[in-house]
Formats: sequence, C-alpha cells, structure tokens
Amino acid sequence: MSIIEVSHLSFGYPDGPRFGTGRKTGTQVEVLRDLSFEVMPATFLVIAGPNGTGKTTLLNLLCGSLVPKSGSIRIDAAAIKSYSTEALAAKVAVVRQEFVPIFGFSVIEMVLMARTPYYGQMGFESKADRDIVNEALEATDTAQFASRTLSSLSGGERQRVFIARALAQNTAILLLDEPTSFLDLKHQVGIYDLLKRMQLEKGKTIVAVTHDINLAVQYADVTLLLGADSSYQYGRAKDVFSPEQIEKVFGVRVFSGKVGQEKFFIPLGKFAKDSRQINGNPDSNRQK
Amino acid sequence: MKELLTARKLVVRVTSALVVLAAVMFVCSLMGTESVSLKAVFGGAGGQEAVNPDYEIFVQVRLPRIILACIVGAALACSGVIFQALLRNPLADPYILGISSGAGLGAIVAVLSGLSWTLWGRSPIAVFAFAGALGTVWLVWFIGRLAGKSHVTGLLLAGVVVNAFFSAVIMFLISVAKGQQVHATIFWLMGNMTEEDFLVLWLGAGCVAAGMLALFYISPQLNAISFGEDDARSMGVNTARTRTIAFAVAALITAVAVSLSGLIGFVGLVVPHAVRLVFGPDHRQLLPLSGIVGAIFLVAADTLARIVVAPAQLPVGVVTAIVGGPFFLVLLVKHTHKVGWLSK
Repeated sequence: MSIIEVSHLSFGYPDGPRFGTGRKTGTQVEVLRDLSFEVMPATFLVIAGPNGTGKTTLLNLLCGSLVPKSGSIRIDAAAIKSYSTEALAAKVAVVRQEFVPIFGFSVIEMVLMARTPYYGQMGFESKADRDIVNEALEATDTAQFASRTLSSLSGGERQRVFIARALAQNTAILLLDEPTSFLDLKHQVGIYDLLKRMQLEKGKTIVAVTHDINLAVQYADVTLLLGADSSYQYGRAKDVFSPEQIEKVFGVRVFSGKVGQEKFFIPLGKFAKDSRQINGNPDSNRQK
Repeated sequence: MKELLTARKLVVRVTSALVVLAAVMFVCSLMGTESVSLKAVFGGAGGQEAVNPDYEIFVQVRLPRIILACIVGAALACSGVIFQALLRNPLADPYILGISSGAGLGAIVAVLSGLSWTLWGRSPIAVFAFAGALGTVWLVWFIGRLAGKSHVTGLLLAGVVVNAFFSAVIMFLISVAKGQQVHATIFWLMGNMTEEDFLVLWLGAGCVAAGMLALFYISPQLNAISFGEDDARSMGVNTARTRTIAFAVAALITAVAVSLSGLIGFVGLVVPHAVRLVFGPDHRQLLPLSGIVGAIFLVAADTLARIVVAPAQLPVGVVTAIVGGPFFLVLLVKHTHKVGWLSK
C-alpha cells in the first residue's frame, strides 16, 4: 500500500495584493493542476522540473504547510487534513533550503529540537530522546561537531545537520528541498549517499526536489517531472529522464550518453564549442 | 563535548541568580540620601507619638521602590526575549511593536486632561498608559495581519508605522501643552520610578510572575520557533498557539511595566543579549535568567539614579542607557568570537 497518495491535486497562489482578512480577491496563479501519483514505502522519489513549476509548493503541500485548493493528499492511508501538527510531524520530516539561524544554537541543541513534541512536563528531553538524537548525529556523521554553533559550519556540514534533525523526528517520510544546491561535487554525492542509505537501511521514503538530473537518475527509483502549464510525467526515473523529455520540459538542448549502467545528461548552450559535433551524436534527438 | 542543559542545572543557576538578586536588593535598600540602620528598622514602626524614621524610610520609601524595579526589570527583560525570538530579530525590544508610543499617548492624554482628577484615589496616568499600550499592540497585530502573508515582516512594518504615527501625535500634543504638563509628560517618557503603594505592587508582581510562568511553559516551543515558523511546525510545534500566547503575555507584562514606570529603555534589549552571550540561546534558561538579571540590573540602576545627584533624582531610563550601553559593548567584544551569529 502506498505511503503517499496524491490525487487530483490543484494549487494556486493569489495574484496581486489583497486587502481585508481572509478575503481572496484577484485572480489565482495556478501552479499545480490535477496532479496524481502514489509513492510506495521505502522509495526514493525525485521531483524535478524548471523553476516555477511548483516543486517547492508540492513539498509544502506534502508536509501540510500549504493546503490544497482541490484534490487530496493521503499520508500513510489517512487524509493529511486529519493529522494534527504533532501527528504529522511524527510521519513527515522536512529539510528546507538552508538558511543561517539568528541565535547561536549548537548543533546538538538544534537536533534535539526535533524531539520538542515529546518533551516531558518540565520541558526537558528524556534519555530515549537523547539516544535518538545521538543516533541521528552518528548516521549523518555530524557527532564530531555536535557542540559547535551552526554558523561556524560549512554549507555541506550544515546541510547534514539539518538532515540529522529531520532523522531525529523518526519519521517514515523525509522531504528535502534542493538538499545539494550549494554544495560541491563531493558533498553532493555525500548527501545523496546518505539519503540512499537511509532508504535502504531504515526503509525511509525519501522525497527530494532537485535540479541535478544526473544525480537524480543515479539515485532515484521514481521521478516526478513537473513541466510548464501543469503538465507532468511520473514513473521510473530511468524512463522519465530521456533526452526528449528533458529537452521538451526544460527547453534546452542536451547531450546524453551512457557510462556503464549510468545515464548522463549535459546541457548545451548556444556557445558550446563542440555543438556541431554533438548535433551529430545519435543520442541527441535534435539534429539539424 | 558541550554539556546540554538539564533540569538540575537550570534549577541551580536560577537559584544562584535569585540569591544574587536578594543580595543586591538588600544592599540597595541600605543606600540612599538618608543612612538607615537595620537595627533600628527591626525596632518596628514605633508608636503614634514616636515615629521610627528608619522604619518609615525603609518600608514606606525604599522597599516599594526596589520591589517596583524588580517587577519592571523582570517584565521588560522577559518580553525582550520573547520579541527577539518571535520576530527572529536581534534588534527587537519590548517597544518594537509600538507599545511605547501607545502607552506614551495614553499618558499624555491623561496629563492633558488635567492632573486634578483621580481614579481609585490615584493618578490616571498608569491606567491610561496601560490601556494605550494594549490598544496599540492590538492595532499593530491587526494591521500586521492585513499587511502580508509573512507575519513577521507585516508585524514589524506595522509596528514601525504605528510607532512613528503615535510619536508624531505625542510631539504635537507636547507642543500645544502647558509648561507644567510638558514637564510631567517628559519625565514619564524618560522612564521614572516612584514609590507605589503595596496593593499596586502586588498586582503588578502577580501579573508579571504569572506571565513568566506561562512563558517558561512554552519555552521549548520558542526554541523551535526561532528557526522560523514553517520549520517549527514541521517539527510538530503548534506555532499558532505558541505565538499567540507569547505575544499576548509579552504585551501584557510590558504594558504593566510601562504603566508603572514609564518608558525605561535598554533593559529589554540589552539584558536578553547579555544573558544569551554568557549562557547560550536556550529559552528554557534564557527566560528565567533574563527575568532575574533584568530585575538585578534595574534595581541597581534605580539606586544609582537615586544617589548620584542626590538630593535630586535622575530618571532611571537615563541610567540604564548610560550604564548598560558600555557594559554591553564590552560583553559583545569579549564574547562574539564564542558565539558567531553576530560576526556573520
């Protein structure tokens, strides 16, 4: 049975200023229309697509930060609307795009906050909470700087800390919004390895928004490719990511190839030096 | 590895801070223009004929004022902590959402309406200031809702605008007021302690103590909220409830403080930062310690205000700014390398 079930989901943002509490005047800018898909437990799902096609919006809908205009979302066989904030946080954890916090909390203090709903009467964590946190720090390899402040960490370290906090929520589902956007190659791979390990070893369902098609096609089991005008493709990652699809959805020419088992895609700009040669490549679909 | 805060550690630190507070209160109660002998104080009030002057000064003059400074200092420091956390802004203080100008407007209206009349035998300034403060917070909250989807930005903007507008109205009223009224108003605006009677003190103390308890109760949630409301909600924190309680309580205790003592600046900004720099940002500890340190700071500052230019008195707001500013700068320079969020 599927752990995430989205059916006929639509969502739009209000366009232009609105005055008056709660009154939604003006038109809506629709970003998602009639979107349906199901995710099985312990699956790695990647959501990809050009800017402005609703990837982050979808993530916010899946974690309850936004409410659908129409259609429904079911998490673990129950409507998302039926969850309390606390109950949903026990099912779904989110890693948003990274930011620097304003106060000097240490890494372990921040990861412990994931246990806030489970604190005792006096507002302190239990031994069990600490064990969960330590386990999350170990899994993400962040225990070594547990007592440092967040602002003293590098981007890659900080991203792992935010993932540790999400792991400490002990949820079946992990949502991530562009978890590798500011990281160098080594750290990008490191984050994806970590996520894949969580999927395989702990049976977590990973849902990651990303712009990195090459990593997505390596790690993802299923892919949701969102296009302009609310079109979308959903299916096995290696089926969805084809040169034709990518050229159509992103509107760029790509060179694609295969190294061993792995597919890869390279976007080609107008000034690419080898563009003529590559135009003749059998794998590139747009030949002149 | 840095040790985490435990309930035991918290109790030890809060108790130690309370002991320091008691010591400071004791020392300050002995300082003043008249020297007071403790032995004489314990002699009691004395009879109808022979009034014991030491007892009179200690119980009727010094003690109420010191208790008042405790209440006001604790309230301002705690609400400073809350506004900094909720607005996610280290520059926030208890007055940032316009409480000061609202209370000021209430006070000046009370002054202009004539000082001759009284409410329950008291000057109407406090009541008007209290109403003005709460009214303004409600107005800012309401406008903030209309202004935008980002609650924090909307609130801050609404606070700035309402503050500016009410300040202009205050300036206008001052410029058309008579000399004696102007003096009374300006003294109030500078922040001023007077000897309140015990009924008022108990009321104020009760409000502030209850408020601090409520805030302590939600302090784990405040930790999460300082990472942003979306983040806090996805960690399972009921942010709407936490935010509403925190704002309401912070506004209420600030209004109590302001109506008792006028606009005393700096306590609500500096004390939370100082405590955070030394003890870290965890609100479970930051709130109670800030409250106690705020009380210590204001008791000491008010004692200085009483004795520096004796027999005249300074407005305590002047002392808090003159003493607190440099003290805070020293702390800032010494500790920034340890903390990091200010250096970025």
